[in-house]
Amino acid sequence: MKLELDEYVHLESPLHRWDPRYKLAGLMALILAFSFVRDLRMLLPMVAATATVYLVSRLPLSFMLRRLRYPSIFVLAAVLILPFLAGQTIVLSIGPFDVRQEGLLAVLLIVTRFLCILTIGLILFGTTPFLTSIKAMRALGLPAILADMLLLSFRYLHEIGNDLQRMQTSMTLRGFHRHRLSPRGLRILAWLGGSILVRSYEQSEWVYKAMILRGYGHEPHPRDEFRACSRDVVALSVFLSTAVAFVAADVLWRYGPAALPW
Amino acid sequence: MLSEEPGVPVITVSNLWFSYPERPNVLRDVSLTVLPGERVGLIGPNGSGKTTLFLQVSGILKPSAGKIVVFGMPVVNGDFRSDMGMVLQNPDDQLFCPSVRDDVAFGPRNMGLSEDEIDARVTEALSIVDALELADRPPHHLSEGEKRMVAIAGVLAMRPRLLIYDEPSANLDIRSRRRLIRLLHASTETILIASHDLELVLEVCQRVVLIDDGRIIADGNPRDVMGNDRLMEAHGQEKPHSLLPHRFPHGKSLE
Amino acid sequence: MHIPDGILPIPITAGGYAATAAATWYSVRKIEQQENPRRHVPKASLLTAAFFVVSWIHIPVPPTSVHLVLNGLLGALLGYFAFPAILIGLFFQAVMFQHGGLTTLGINAVIMGLPAIVAHYVFRMRRLGNHDSRTRTAVFGFFSGAVALGISVAMFVAILLGNLPADFDPAIERAAVYTLAVAHVPLIAIEGVITALLTTFLRRVQPELLDDV
Repeated sequence: MKLELDEYVHLESPLHRWDPRYKLAGLMALILAFSFVRDLRMLLPMVAATATVYLVSRLPLSFMLRRLRYPSIFVLAAVLILPFLAGQTIVLSIGPFDVRQEGLLAVLLIVTRFLCILTIGLILFGTTPFLTSIKAMRALGLPAILADMLLLSFRYLHEIGNDLQRMQTSMTLRGFHRHRLSPRGLRILAWLGGSILVRSYEQSEWVYKAMILRGYGHEPHPRDEFRACSRDVVALSVFLSTAVAFVAADVLWRYGPAALPW
Repeated sequence: MLSEEPGVPVITVSNLWFSYPERPNVLRDVSLTVLPGERVGLIGPNGSGKTTLFLQVSGILKPSAGKIVVFGMPVVNGDFRSDMGMVLQNPDDQLFCPSVRDDVAFGPRNMGLSEDEIDARVTEALSIVDALELADRPPHHLSEGEKRMVAIAGVLAMRPRLLIYDEPSANLDIRSRRRLIRLLHASTETILIASHDLELVLEVCQRVVLIDDGRIIADGNPRDVMGNDRLMEAHGQEKPHSLLPHRFPHGKSLE
Repeated sequence: MHIPDGILPIPITAGGYAATAAATWYSVRKIEQQENPRRHVPKASLLTAAFFVVSWIHIPVPPTSVHLVLNGLLGALLGYFAFPAILIGLFFQAVMFQHGGLTTLGINAVIMGLPAIVAHYVFRMRRLGNHDSRTRTAVFGFFSGAVALGISVAMFVAILLGNLPADFDPAIERAAVYTLAVAHVPLIAIEGVITALLTTFLRRVQPELLDDV
C-alpha cells in the first residue's frame, strides 16, 4: 500500500533547502491567494507562477502527473456537469445539450485554481519529509497533543493497514466473497472493521506503556530545531509579496482602482 | 562498568501480590532479590505472570500488595526511572516514532539531555546493536530482527543499569537470534530475561527462576533448575535440548 | 463528502478554518483539563489511524461499492478527541491522496466533525433510564451513524451548491439537491446499519471502547 510521500524529499533544490517553517507559511500564503482569485485574467499568471515554482523545485513531472490522476476524477465531473447546467447564456449546442457560457467559465476557473493549488500543495509536502513538516507546524504553534497524535497516527497507519490486508486475505482464503451484498456479508465486514478497531485499541495500550517507560510526559520544552538564515526570510517575502500581488491584481481587475485600500 | 557496590541488591521484590480487574492473583506472594551483574532468566508457561512481574518492577503497574525497590529507591507507579529499561515483547509497540533515529532519541530527549549528547547516545546505542546504517529508516521498513535491535537500542540509549527483556528472541530468524545472544553476552548491566527460548536462557543466564501460576517455584543454577525433568514437566516446560543426550546421529554427508 | 480546493470562496473557507480552530482549541483544552491527558493520546491516535483504515473496506452496493465514512462511530467512541481525529484524518487524505483539499481542510472538518460530536451525544443517550442492552446499543448505534452522515451530506450539499461560481437555474438547483439527497438515502441507511453492527460487536468484544473518554 503506497502511503509514501517522501519519495523526492532528498533532492537538491532551493525549495528543498528552504526552512520548513517559512516554506509552510510562504506556500500556504500562495495557495490562499490562488483560492481568492476570481478574475479570469489572473488564471494565466497563476499557471505561470505554479509552473515556475514547480520547475525550481526540481520535482519530476511524473510525480505531479501521478498524483493528479486520482483528483482529476473530480475535475472530469465538473467539466461534464457544470457547462451544461450552470448559467443562462447558451454559446453552443451539442445535440440536445446546451453549453452555457457561465458554466464553461466557471469550470475554467475552478479547474485552474484546483490544479494550481494542488500542485503547490504537492510541492510543499513533496520537498519536506513528513516528520519535518509536522515539526514545522509545531514550531508555528500547533498544540503538542495534535503533533503527537499526527505522528503516532501516521506511524501506525502502515501497521494497521497491513493488518487489514492480512485479515482480508484470510477471509478470501476461507471463501468469503467480497463483492456480494448480503446481510451475513455485511455483518462479517462489520466484524472485520470491529476487529481492526479492537486490535488497534489493544496495541495502543502497549504503545502507551512503551512511551512512559522511556519518559513520555517528562519531556522538557520543545527545542528549536530550525535555524533560519536571511535567504529563508527573503524567499518568504518573495512569496508573500506574490500572494499579495495576486490578490491586489484580482481586486483591481474586478472592481477597478477605487476598490484598493491605498 | 559495574558501578554498584557488590552485594547491594539491584532489585528487591518483597511479598508482591497483583490482581487485574478481571483476573485475580496473577502474582502471589512473589519475593525476589537480584544482585548487581546477575543475568537472571525467568521461565514459565504463558499466563504465569512473567510479563506482569516485569511491569511491576518497571513501575508501569502498581502492586496490589508488597514492595519493590530498585537501586535503593522504591519503585513508584508513574515515575520515570531511566536507570532501568524494559524491552517489550512486540517491537512494533515500542517503535512509535517516524524514524529509527527519532525513536532511539526519544528516551534521551525525555531525560533532558542536550542535542549533542542525544546525538552521541543515539550513535552509541545503534552501534552497540550494529544498526547504525538503519538510522534514517522508518520503522515499518525494517525486518523483525532489525526492529528488535532498534527497540533494544532505544532502551540502551538511556544507559540504564538494569535491563529487562520480555521474550527477546521471539520471531527472530537464526542469524538475528545469534546476534541477540552475542549482544546479551557482551553486556555488563544487570539483566532480567523472560523467555520461552530455554536454550538462550541456558547460554546467557547464570540464574534461572521458574514461575508458574503467579508463584516462584524454583530459583537457582540453570542446569539444576532446567535439568530437573520432573520439575520442568510439572510446570509446562521441557528440558532444553542441550541438556539432553544426542538422539539422532547427524553430520554425515548425504550419500 | 470532501470539498476539493478551488471551488469555495474565501469567506467560506476562512469561516471553516475559524470554526475548526475554535473547535480544536476547545477539544484540546478539554483534553488537557483531564487528570492524565497523555493517557489517551496513544489510544486516540491509533483509533484515528484505525478508522482511516476501516474506511478503506469496500462495502459492496451493486453495481459498485462504497466506502464508509464512520464519523458517527468515531464521535461515539472518541469524545473530545473526535474533532482532532477527524482533522488529522482529513489532513492525511489531503496530503497523501490529494483527496479533499488544503484550503478546504477547515470547512471539511466542520462538515465531518460537527455531526460526529452530535453523534456522540446521540449515542450517549442509550444510557438514559440506566438500561444497557444489546438492542439499545444497536438502535442508538444505528441512529448515531445515520444522523452523523445525514447531517454531513446536508451540509456538504448546501455549502457546495450554494457557493459555486456560477448561477444555477433554480429549477436545476432544486433538481440537483433532490437527486443528491435521494442518492444518499441508501448510503445513510447502510452507514447506520454498519454502525449498529459495529457497536454491538464492540459491546460484546471490548466494551471499554464504548465507555466515555
